[in-house]
Amino acid sequence: MPLVAKARSFLRNLFFTRRVDADLEREVQSHLEILIEEKMRAGMAAAEARRAARIEMGGIEQVKEQVRQKRMGNWVHSVLSDCRYGFRQLRKNLGTTAVMIFTLALAIGASTAIFSVVYGVLLRPLPYADAHRIMAVFEVTSKGETSRLADPNFDDFRDQNRSFQALAKYDENVTSVSGGAQPTRATVAQVSPQFLRVFGVQPMRGRDFSEDDAKKGASRTVLVSYGYWRQNLGAPTDFSQSHLRIDGAEYSVIGVSPEGFRFPAGVDLWLAADVDGEGQSRTSHNYSAVGRLRDGVTMEQAKQDISAIARRIHDTSSEQGDFLLKDGMVLPLQDSITGPARLPLLVLLGAVGFLLLVACANVANLLLAQASVRERELAIRSVLGAARGRLIRQFLTEAFLLCVVGGGLGVLGAFWGVAGLVALAPGNLPRLESVSINIPVLVFAVLLSTAVAAGLGAFTAVRATAGDLRQGLAEGGRGETGSRRSQRVGQIIVATQIAITLVLVVGAGLLGRSLLKVLEVNPGFRVDKIVTMDVSLPWVEDPQGKAGHAIFYADLIARLKQIPGVRKVGAASALPMAEGGLADGMFLVLTQNEVPKTLDGLSALSQQKERAGIADFCAASDGYFQALGIPLQRGRIFDESDGANSPHVAVISESLARERWPNQDPIGHTIEFGNMDGDLRLLTIVGIVGDTHEYSLDTPPRPTVYVNLLQRPSPAITVAMLSDADTQSVTSAARGILRELNPEIPARFETFSQVYSASLRPRSFNVILIGFFGIAALLLATAGVFGVMAYAVNRRTREIGVRVALGASTGHVLRLVLGEGLRTICMGVAVGIASALALTRTLESLLFDVTADDPLTFGGVTLFLAGVALLACYIPARRATKVDPMVALRYE
Amino acid sequence: MSPEQTSLLQGTLDLLILKSLRAGEMHGLGISRRVQQITGGTFVVKPGSLFPALHRMEEEGWITAFWGESENNRRAKFYRLSKPGMKQLEAETKRWGRISLAIGQALETS
Repeated sequence: MPLVAKARSFLRNLFFTRRVDADLEREVQSHLEILIEEKMRAGMAAAEARRAARIEMGGIEQVKEQVRQKRMGNWVHSVLSDCRYGFRQLRKNLGTTAVMIFTLALAIGASTAIFSVVYGVLLRPLPYADAHRIMAVFEVTSKGETSRLADPNFDDFRDQNRSFQALAKYDENVTSVSGGAQPTRATVAQVSPQFLRVFGVQPMRGRDFSEDDAKKGASRTVLVSYGYWRQNLGAPTDFSQSHLRIDGAEYSVIGVSPEGFRFPAGVDLWLAADVDGEGQSRTSHNYSAVGRLRDGVTMEQAKQDISAIARRIHDTSSEQGDFLLKDGMVLPLQDSITGPARLPLLVLLGAVGFLLLVACANVANLLLAQASVRERELAIRSVLGAARGRLIRQFLTEAFLLCVVGGGLGVLGAFWGVAGLVALAPGNLPRLESVSINIPVLVFAVLLSTAVAAGLGAFTAVRATAGDLRQGLAEGGRGETGSRRSQRVGQIIVATQIAITLVLVVGAGLLGRSLLKVLEVNPGFRVDKIVTMDVSLPWVEDPQGKAGHAIFYADLIARLKQIPGVRKVGAASALPMAEGGLADGMFLVLTQNEVPKTLDGLSALSQQKERAGIADFCAASDGYFQALGIPLQRGRIFDESDGANSPHVAVISESLARERWPNQDPIGHTIEFGNMDGDLRLLTIVGIVGDTHEYSLDTPPRPTVYVNLLQRPSPAITVAMLSDADTQSVTSAARGILRELNPEIPARFETFSQVYSASLRPRSFNVILIGFFGIAALLLATAGVFGVMAYAVNRRTREIGVRVALGASTGHVLRLVLGEGLRTICMGVAVGIASALALTRTLESLLFDVTADDPLTFGGVTLFLAGVALLACYIPARRATKVDPMVALRYE
Repeated sequence: MSPEQTSLLQGTLDLLILKSLRAGEMHGLGISRRVQQITGGTFVVKPGSLFPALHRMEEEGWITAFWGESENNRRAKFYRLSKPGMKQLEAETKRWGRISLAIGQALETS
């Protein structure tokens, strides 16, 4: 019961304050009147009675105030009144307030947006049950690099380990699928039976793979993704009759994975691997592997376990050599997916953190300036008995108001910012789909705003209320000592801002210069005016099938050449910069009578290191080199004479010629590269072509062997069409031609410049964002310098007036003011250069052809920053020289 | 004011107000006079302590307030003891008895 009464009083005090107060007023009045009556009855005269009653009563307002303070919920009123007062303060300086809120909104918004990417990509757990127990398993090569697994090695890992409750291998590729609603290009993964169990996933319909599905000669089975089941199969409940033609073979659908499960990213179909038999080589690294740890087993234990098995294989295998594993490796799957993205994202997070610091410094400076204007008010409040704690609370309240508004606007901005980031982000950034403004990100924003508010509030409060406030009154409100001190603080803040900005701009400069250097690299091929078409045919191994592919490709290329406006047409197993790229392998320099009969024979020969060489393997048509503008340097390119039955020929890249045949002419040599496509016929080198940067501009060109696509057809090709006509018409004409040749084969079109610019995106993404943060920090720091200098000049108007009156020249005044600014700038620049030298080292792996202490960048940025800051000083300094001594002396 | 008037101990004021209201409903000045009377003039409750105490005790639910007419037909705010107030008075009385006994004993021992 009393609790209800208390709650009622609390609410009444809160919401009917006026009525409660009026009641109190009446009560006190009536008390006074009764008191007067009492005195009069005791014989006093009316006036005297009134006087006596008032004395006995004490101050009516004080009595009322005492009651108010005792009331329940009084603290709410006092906080509200702090807020009201704070609002009034902020509204009074509307311009400054707007600037502070905008600054905070920018910084908090940018931080929130970047954090959402960092969270979504790096921190958010993978969407699987107990995701932290899922590990990626690797072989470690003799060079200490991780690599994928060879089949027999995987089998040993799976059968001999004691650490994993499920271990599976997988490999993905893009291929043509028909049998659904229409032929499509789909990403397909070959997986071993325990694959779904690794992820703790069960098919939502149908059954999982069994061990039998992976036996050699088993009937082909496929699991489809939820999306594929709905869109391409029409969501049947009974799919015993559902079959898909994948890579030319018939597969029966056995189950549907639960919605949202798509691992590896983008996969729609999972096929049981090894139906055609397993690879026997321990040096063909064909599969990735994932496993789920047993309960109670740590990653470290699993690593030792796998490592021991790997070393045993290394010691006992007959296939010694550079390609044989030396050790094993276990990593959390999440780390292995996000590993390459880690450094760039953390650099971005650091950059936005710097921006936040610069922004906070600006706001702190503005708050301090306001506080020093309020010195007189603070002094009066302090004299009237306000405790320091109460004053500090006032500052905290104001800082919180700013951060609530600024943070709120920032988060709104972040929603928009995240959409922009996701659109701008490079395609190879993993897990982009899990980036959004979600609860953890909002919690981050709230915590960040609170921390900023607490920091700013506490800082200003402590600075503003330090020392003897009452002195402010004694100095007639000019507060010279106080302002000198707070100016020093202001200068330190500005110097810090300059230092941080310098670090940020140097970082942006280094990355920007790297981007420019990368763009200067000659890719070795033409980019413009090329339309690409990806086509994939079924996988075939028999010579007839391959001959069929070759005829199809020849037909296709010949007909594409007829499209009006198309000048050159060529095809290759993969274009430079494209996803996937080429496979590399070991070739052997052999003569005709050494050619082995079988692949096993080949691997025996490959022990002879002096005959071996390593190169990328590319099947290309003769037009490919012309379409892409890859120059022929010596010898010839493929031509009509290189038919299916004439001797197989190869063209090699300049760097391979230089490395493998130094001081020799490679033309005429014969090489064996059958391990790449199963065709053991020797290749005669007939020409040397220019190098191309196949993977990216910032990695050196790789030695490459080009074989003739029409002699050694690969199942998937990309056709490049150099044309003057517009992309649209070329695309639709090419699509029509492909449909006429074979309606079952889907194609994907792009322009080569799209592919090419996508390869530059990881780099430009970083440059754009860090550049943006750098510019924002630069603007804020400039505003900071300007603000502090203008304020200092304002404060010293009288002093400068006196100096001028006593005969100081314009130059003298200018030197006086600029000198002070210059000191601050020099301090900031010095600290900035030192910190930048220390911090840019972390960027090293992201730079290209630029050292982390690149003098040009450091010098340029320093000069530029100092120049801008000096200009920001010059404007107030100039105003100082215009001070009229008469006006200044009367100033008060 | 006579020098004998003692400043009230913490908690004592509540007890005295409750005790005064035991006799019946009263307005603020009435309570003040009553306290003065029952303590033989030792305690004089000033409005600055009286009103905050009354409002606090009302919020605690020990007393209830209502507007009524004074002896001279003036509107005044009256206070009345509630049931929880009665209980509180009993508890406070017992507590006070214990305290005064203990203090008395303490002072008698030499």
